[in-house]
Amino acid sequence: MGALANEIDPREFDSPGYQKDPFPLYKRLRDHHPLFRDRFHNRWMISRYEDVNAAFQDNESFDRALYRVDGPYEFGSSHVFGPNILEYGNSERHRWLRNIIAGQFVGQGLVSFIPFIEKIAGELLEECTGDGEVELVGRFSNQFPIRVISNILGLPRADEERFVGWYQALIAGLGFGGEHLARGIAARNEMWKYLEPIIQERLRDPGEDLLSKIAMAELDGKRMSMEEVKGFIALLLAAGGDTTDKAIANMWFHMLYTRPDQFEDVKKDPSLWENVFAEMMRYDAVVHVQSRYTTHEVEMHGRVIPERSLIILLLGSGNRDERVFANPDTFDIHRTDMHMGRENRSARYKDKLPGHLGFGVGQHFCMGYAMARQEAVIACARMMEMMKNPRPKFATHDGISSPNIDSGGFRSPQELWIEFDR
Amino acid sequence: MKVTIDLDKCIMAGECVYNHPWLFEFNDDNQASVKVAVLTTDEQQLGARQAREVCPSGAIRLADD
Repeated sequence: MGALANEIDPREFDSPGYQKDPFPLYKRLRDHHPLFRDRFHNRWMISRYEDVNAAFQDNESFDRALYRVDGPYEFGSSHVFGPNILEYGNSERHRWLRNIIAGQFVGQGLVSFIPFIEKIAGELLEECTGDGEVELVGRFSNQFPIRVISNILGLPRADEERFVGWYQALIAGLGFGGEHLARGIAARNEMWKYLEPIIQERLRDPGEDLLSKIAMAELDGKRMSMEEVKGFIALLLAAGGDTTDKAIANMWFHMLYTRPDQFEDVKKDPSLWENVFAEMMRYDAVVHVQSRYTTHEVEMHGRVIPERSLIILLLGSGNRDERVFANPDTFDIHRTDMHMGRENRSARYKDKLPGHLGFGVGQHFCMGYAMARQEAVIACARMMEMMKNPRPKFATHDGISSPNIDSGGFRSPQELWIEFDR
Repeated sequence: MKVTIDLDKCIMAGECVYNHPWLFEFNDDNQASVKVAVLTTDEQQLGARQAREVCPSGAIRLADD
């Protein structure tokens, strides 16, 4: 083959084949274009594990936001979530907002939510496991995390159904655009109208719930604006719901279709769901892409990236990097070359093994990492208790896909039918 | 007020380092360590309390003088 065989036409990134199975293209990027200048989409793409990890850790060169939060710009007016922490880049305001709630989702904060998580998982499973078969995505995983987070926020349980509806519209708006975006923004506005009196009430009479804590938090004697509180809630519902929802579906998909042999090990030892979670986050994480902007010229692989360039960090590719993981295209819950335990924001581990990149690393590392793992593992273990001898209803499956990898379109199976003995 | 890190408990999550880089760092041995052992200002003490709150392993200890 000639040299041209390794050239990449950037239009490939828009093809349905790439949305379905991006891994062959990831490999070509890693092997031949570790820093790829995509002139068609006006961006640079980084695909190797070490490079993605290093960029995540280098706040000085790579910022999450192009504009400063204190600049003369409108933030998030057309974003599905409204103004939110993700828009705040590497600023002090970001650090402060994150500190307000980060502690709620780890350590003692997390432990205090476990009974909630157990209870909601049990209730939902009770409802959907009566028939000897269940469509997991619609009946369970789509509903579970959103119900958990609305409980943690202290929202009325009677209104949970409405939250599930708003959340599904928000997520569709985020992933598909077009009319879905319009519907997503309409749902957000409806939700905000609903939230405003509740937020005002919590400001007058704060409780122990997370919504009160967010509304009451102060930096230099100032609280968040009403718009910011509402944007934060929208983000929590969506980010805290959708990703975990899809993680659960992905874990089951891989056990039922990718590694039924290793599923037998999990049936014998449910604590292995922890490993299923870690390996799912490496092999085909819910989110494959994060973006950054260069704050100055950056030299990499013998080239210079100009200041204020859009950088795509392909963590989905870094996770399959053969330079770091043996047999990267094999799903293996007994992997010994990766840290399988709880993730760290620093990407440093006492066992000295590399971790997956599925939550990102560093300043903007997923805030709900411990919560997500806990919810997913509890849910999967409860399912095993309530469904005897679970197996796929259909012999074949269309597999995992995403509406649009670039827009953060989250990867998961559209449907997952499970049969079991009652 | 004094702040210390229990390295047996520390899982190197890095939450203290990312949230309060003026108080904590990863040292040359790749271990979390304290940059300002004795906290005198309100800002430092607030930072240390927040760090204790976000530490996922409960490794951060605060002691009054």
